[in-house]
Amino acid sequence: MREDDDSTLVRRCLEGHRNAFEQLVQRYQKPVFNVAWRTLHDRQDAMDVAQTTFLKAFEHLSSYDASYRFYSWIYRIAVNESLNALSARRSSAPINDQEPDEAPGPDRQLEGEQTGRAIEEGLMRISPELRTVVILRHFMHLSYEDMADILALPAKTVKSRLYSARQALREHLLQHEMV
Amino acid sequence: MPDTEFLALIHGEIDGELDARQRADLARRLLSDPEARALREELQSLCSALDAVRDVEPPTSLSTKILNALPRPAERPARAPWAAPRWRYAALVAGLCAGGAVVFETLQGPGPAITEVAGTMAASRATATLDSVRLSEGPVTGRVSLYRDAAGIGVAFELAAEHPVDALITGAGPPRRVPDVGRTAGPAGAAAEVPLTFWAADQRVVTVTLLMAGRPVGSAMLHVPADP
Repeated sequence: MREDDDSTLVRRCLEGHRNAFEQLVQRYQKPVFNVAWRTLHDRQDAMDVAQTTFLKAFEHLSSYDASYRFYSWIYRIAVNESLNALSARRSSAPINDQEPDEAPGPDRQLEGEQTGRAIEEGLMRISPELRTVVILRHFMHLSYEDMADILALPAKTVKSRLYSARQALREHLLQHEMV
Repeated sequence: MPDTEFLALIHGEIDGELDARQRADLARRLLSDPEARALREELQSLCSALDAVRDVEPPTSLSTKILNALPRPAERPARAPWAAPRWRYAALVAGLCAGGAVVFETLQGPGPAITEVAGTMAASRATATLDSVRLSEGPVTGRVSLYRDAAGIGVAFELAAEHPVDALITGAGPPRRVPDVGRTAGPAGAAAEVPLTFWAADQRVVTVTLLMAGRPVGSAMLHVPADP
């Protein structure tokens, strides 16, 4: 049902109805922002990535293949933009300086638990490739099929990365006696 | 440590992807491997914690920021209407009128200030842009637009220039000179709006000539779209 709605909105966008794109922004700004936030752990960077993601989607909407799910398409842009931003940040600062954003988001206040903090710390310590599969699987709750589409990888590779990511996070939590 | 195949079974169970045979295989191996049982419990605990992580609420300003950054519909270049053959005669006539008006208005002196003629047009209201011409070269840059709102038709100026710029509006009642329509410091600012009080219902074209020190430095021919 949601897919039909997305397809209709995309078609209306392409017909020149700007408000249709506004509806897509309203619908997907939260998951797109979350992909960026979980990857970068910086609120301002996440906002910039979210903005770039929607701008690119708007500019390339005519190239969107309607046989794919719209959310897979826009999540793919968000993931790539997040990784690009992370790469740019790395090239301008040593990795040891990549501390998580100290300004707490609303979630931090609500999560507020040691386990949540340990998970966030652990996520920032694993490689961006492993972090991305955790974000897509456990935070965006996507299937392996969707993840494979988004990451342009075979499902088998996606699974392998996720298993490695879980193992790495488990070891991090064990160090903090959280599991 | 369990082997790779065994690990895949544990992860597959967490993801709910095992069939009956694989579940039986996993159960059998877990029975005989305490280390694997501990690992399975730790991974299950980890995945439950991951699944329980709440979404972050984006800043309330995000959607506005995104929408404001979207490109606006393409504007026609300033000279485009003149290139169309059907407008050439209209442009010639309008140009002659504008030229005559320039002479007339130069002799008459400047009219009331932009703030006087614009009145309270900057107040919040529903406005539709009917036509827009961008000026990207020369001493005056920015945009001149024809708009319609509840009060009628008007011309909006979003201009930047090094020196004060006056506008001469012809084609809508008597020629009218509006002083100081361009911002003289920094980029083009908020629109200065001039209502066209003599606009006739069947009128389709108005010409705006921009004057700097009394000399024409740019022009815009603005059209009202024909009714569908």
